Amino acid sequence: MNSFERSKSLYSLLNSGEHRPFDEISADFRSTFPTSLHFRLCSSLVILLQGKQLLRSSQRLVAYAILHQAYSSQKSSSNPFISLLVDAASDQDAEKFERAFILQLLESSSSTSNKEVLKQSAVDFIKYFDIASHPFPPREQLQQQFCDKIDPEQYQCLFKNTSVKNVVTDPDIPSGCDVESSEFDLQPGVKPKIGAGDRDETVTGLLKNLSFQGLGPQWIRPFPPRLPVQYDELVWLNPENHHDVLWDNGMCADTSKGAAVRDLIAKALKGPLAPAQQERVLCELATDPKLVYHSGLTPKKLPELVENNPLIAVEVLIKLIHSAEIAEYFTVLVNMDMSLHSMEVVNRLTTAVELPTEFVHMYITNCISSCENIKDKYMQNRLVRLVCVFLQSLIRNKIINVHDLFIEVQAFCIEFSRIREAAGLFRLLKSLE
Amino acid sequence: MDSRESSSSVTEEDASLSLAKEASLLFHSAKFVDCLKVLHQLLHTKPADPKVLHNIAIVENLQDGFSNPKKFLEVLNDVKKRSEKLATASGDSLVGVSNLESNVVAVSNGSTCLMPQSSAANSPSIVLNAEFASHVASYNIAVTWFNLCEYSKSFSILEPVYQKIAPISEGIAFRICLLLLDVALLSNHASISAGIIDYIEKISSVRSMISQSENVSATQPQPPNLATKASSVPSTPISDISSADTATNASEISLSRSLSEEAEYENLFSTLDMSGQNLSRPSILHSLNDISRTQVDDSIPIIDLRLKLHLYKVRLLLLTRNLKAAKREVKVAMNIARGNNSMVLFLKSQLEYARGNHPKAIKLLMASSNRTEIGTSIMFYNNLGCIHYQLGKHQTSAVYFSKALSTSSVTRKEKPQNQTHGSFSLDKSLLVAYNCGMQYLACGNPILAARCFHKASLIFYNRPLLWLRIAECCLMALEKGLLDSTGAASTSSEIKVHVVGKGKWRNLVMEDGIPKNSQADFAGRRESFLGYDRQPKLSVSLARQCLLNALQLLNVSESVHMSSGLPSDLAIEEETYTKSTNYKGVSGGDSQVHNLAVASGQIANGELKEQKNATTPNTTLRNSISDYEDICGKEIQKIRQSILADLAYVELEMGNPLKALSSARSLLKVADCSRVYIFLGNVYAAEALCLLGRLKEAAEHLLIYLSSGNNVELPFTQEDCGLWRVEKTVDCEESNGGSVATSNTSDEGQVFALNPEEARGTLYANLATMSAVQGDHEQADKFVKQALSTLPNSPGAILTAVYLDLMLGKSHEAITRLKNCSQVTFLPGSFAAKESS
Repeated sequence: MNSFERSKSLYSLLNSGEHRPFDEISADFRSTFPTSLHFRLCSSLVILLQGKQLLRSSQRLVAYAILHQAYSSQKSSSNPFISLLVDAASDQDAEKFERAFILQLLESSSSTSNKEVLKQSAVDFIKYFDIASHPFPPREQLQQQFCDKIDPEQYQCLFKNTSVKNVVTDPDIPSGCDVESSEFDLQPGVKPKIGAGDRDETVTGLLKNLSFQGLGPQWIRPFPPRLPVQYDELVWLNPENHHDVLWDNGMCADTSKGAAVRDLIAKALKGPLAPAQQERVLCELATDPKLVYHSGLTPKKLPELVENNPLIAVEVLIKLIHSAEIAEYFTVLVNMDMSLHSMEVVNRLTTAVELPTEFVHMYITNCISSCENIKDKYMQNRLVRLVCVFLQSLIRNKIINVHDLFIEVQAFCIEFSRIREAAGLFRLLKSLE
Repeated sequence: MDSRESSSSVTEEDASLSLAKEASLLFHSAKFVDCLKVLHQLLHTKPADPKVLHNIAIVENLQDGFSNPKKFLEVLNDVKKRSEKLATASGDSLVGVSNLESNVVAVSNGSTCLMPQSSAANSPSIVLNAEFASHVASYNIAVTWFNLCEYSKSFSILEPVYQKIAPISEGIAFRICLLLLDVALLSNHASISAGIIDYIEKISSVRSMISQSENVSATQPQPPNLATKASSVPSTPISDISSADTATNASEISLSRSLSEEAEYENLFSTLDMSGQNLSRPSILHSLNDISRTQVDDSIPIIDLRLKLHLYKVRLLLLTRNLKAAKREVKVAMNIARGNNSMVLFLKSQLEYARGNHPKAIKLLMASSNRTEIGTSIMFYNNLGCIHYQLGKHQTSAVYFSKALSTSSVTRKEKPQNQTHGSFSLDKSLLVAYNCGMQYLACGNPILAARCFHKASLIFYNRPLLWLRIAECCLMALEKGLLDSTGAASTSSEIKVHVVGKGKWRNLVMEDGIPKNSQADFAGRRESFLGYDRQPKLSVSLARQCLLNALQLLNVSESVHMSSGLPSDLAIEEETYTKSTNYKGVSGGDSQVHNLAVASGQIANGELKEQKNATTPNTTLRNSISDYEDICGKEIQKIRQSILADLAYVELEMGNPLKALSSARSLLKVADCSRVYIFLGNVYAAEALCLLGRLKEAAEHLLIYLSSGNNVELPFTQEDCGLWRVEKTVDCEESNGGSVATSNTSDEGQVFALNPEEARGTLYANLATMSAVQGDHEQADKFVKQALSTLPNSPGAILTAVYLDLMLGKSHEAITRLKNCSQVTFLPGSFAAKESS
């Protein structure tokens, strides 16, 4: 669509064909409008030219001249309107002077001699036109001559190459009247009758409203729906908990206590602590539950602690029960050699905290296999008795579910049925069945 | 360290210790001025001590009401860095020492600096260890971010601290847990929240256990002597053994050792044997009330942690949309709070809101709020706004939202007086702004909506939905013709025909229906998205930018969601549980696996002992979390469909058919894509392919809807539209009264402009165009007739028909068609010409 100002000046250019030569007009066209607009304006002219009645003869000639001259700096074959010009030149129905004019235009670009056609005005050209002096070559010849190779690979865009003209004439005249009749032309000084109209006004109007693209193929592009509001998309506000900034109590803290405990734990790994020392460790651990993390103990060192100071080991493990490393400690505990002390530690743990079932089962399996592997009969008896009472205690306190280990434990009881405690355990198993 | 070496004199140490104590006392009695003096004195003896600097920052900011949180954060971050530097320095020396000793370090997994393991305790660097802990600083940074509503930042600071929480003293550990829980819930990290709740329950039960074991040891002043009870043991068989024992063992163990072992053996045997009668493990029920037991001054000042935990569970269950369980929890919480805790009432109201029982939600809100308190009145009005939004009463909801905003602006003005708390808090207006935006969008006011979203973007910038909504604003503005660039509505509801000339010279000029992507308006223009007044300037390119943001964020959140869900997933946990049965094989290896085994083992144990109280709620939590992950996955796919469809549309609008095509194709690839969006994807892809001149491929996208006899099936049904709506009828059946049935219908009507019939008409019209362009005019004619019979009033279909007429040169038919159509506007085209001539 062209602005009103633009369409008016373009139209005045068309009209100036009455007295000005073509080359002046096309020079004006090039200077008035920026190059970027040329194609658009030319397209509008094309549409005007297509409506045969719309433009007067002189205007038509000027329009053709502009179409040609706007691209005269390039080869004629690269003029976007070249095929249109060729068509118009070979159109049998068109006025002869128009065809002749276009032919001369086309030839003017190939030879420098023929420029004089542009030196005259449109009116003059029509006035002095002599039909006899002009041969009209057939279309094919013209095509060969001017559009030497039509680019076969035109831009393949459905919606651009298939536009149709979007201007339809819709004469508003009383029915039964002839459109061609001149009675509807506007007569100056006479009151316009119904159906009369002004051609000039129409042309400027069209220039203004035309979209050079025409009416393209229509495509309905459905609008994407909005996403419905999601479950918790709307922000619901609840009163918030208050979180205040904290004073750091660790400032210049007294770390001597921790150091003492660390020393004692280190000693506890080497041998049993004296009762007073042991009590001190237990007491410190109880007052500061986090001290255990700074005590210098690691899972690897646990067996030494268990063997030398089982009670401290128990206390430490209880404190560590929720730490991330507890599983490692358990793994170490279950894998260390069976001993009185390890059993004591496990037993105490079972009564103090919840142990992972997995761990308890593994430990029992370990106990049973240790019993079976001992060569020394006396030691074996001792151990079996201990394991039996241990198991009974676990079962009675519902720390293990017998049914998970039933077969294993039963086999153990049968193997050692000569021992009284094993027989007792067997009876307990039977009673639970 | 160097300061320490110089101050080896004990007196100086003592002096600073007492100064520190004094400062602490002054701080806790809120005498900040004096406290600062003492702290500066301390700083003199211990220059650049991070903890002193930390406390100075705390006091100074408390004094001036946290007027400059940014600077506060800078100081704290600096303190944290310093502490960490010192810690790694000491950690290095520590590793050095322990490497000499053995390869112990390998066992502990990376936590060397917090938990010293070497026995070289006399090295001074290790003694300092607790001193380097920076968790308090981290906590304070997280609190500050929390108060600034930067939940993700707060989360990222606090979460690593939580991972190593065990050695941290209980009072602070609790605070860290509670803050992290708040943050995690607010940023929708369901599984982590459940983990923290679990942990809090565990450590609080540990506390109760500790107190009990202390009681036990109090009654037995000599812990090692359990032998006192040995008298009750049937001791005959053991004495037999013991008498025979000494000789056989002599070769193996030293005598004294075996003797003492003998005694121990008996002890152990007897305890085991008799313990069956009366031993009872201290029960690990949640005697959480014990927790108020104070430990120095960093313990929690909460009276009832139990209530808190229930409320957290309610929030988690609401988040994971397990409304039934949430209802149960709320009931328990109501009983504990006896109905007069406003947080409980708000949560209960939220529950009813989530269940769609809006009248009850309103009633509860009314009961809850002590509206004179400004802090709650914002929430009160905001929540009422939400409820009315869901009820489809947009005018009312607009009123409530603006009330909420105006009360929050009042608070902002009164801010200086409001700083009595130990921290400050950002007002919630940014959150309300988001709701406001949603409400404007629902009312069809994209420009105001975009302004609100722009405000909300200060805190919601990492939410894909926010960006999608801004893009929707742009699209809506485009639809309504509010964008500067186009000037006219792109999908106008009418055809515009310009009448040029009069009488004999009258011409009709048809305006093109599809927006001709006038490149001049869009292409490559780098404009800032903010207008002169710092308000977002809606445009199609802004829409595209937002959609790309949304897509990016969505991909991130999807990957997070994929990876985060797993460890807590029940099924997987059980799997690892069975795998790790081979306990011996995995000694000291993958501690993660062990942790899981331990956790599940405890569940099994708990059930064994019929302590259902303790364990069932957490299994509910776990279940609802795994459900929630499913829901989240589905929701992400839903949002993805919406984004991709919008993106394809926008790319078409901007004249980028290739990009449009790729968006449309990704849309078609979305798993479980809704049929509505499949339809859109096909139509957009077909258009893009047409623009690219690939007619055959384009036709394929449309022909899938063509059944025999050139009839187009309905591309989707009304139910498909329904499915797309939010599934919110989670538990209608047990709501009291039929109030649930009043679900939101008004909003959805607007959302869904497209119905199945229209979609079919669209397909007919587009098929007609394609046939026409391919030169099959007969076929095109058939399709056009069907298009017009399904959509007699659609401008698109009519223009298609007109196009076809003009193409065939039947301009007379085209004119009559236009004149008989009610959707055509005839514009006086030459008006301007006449006016100025």
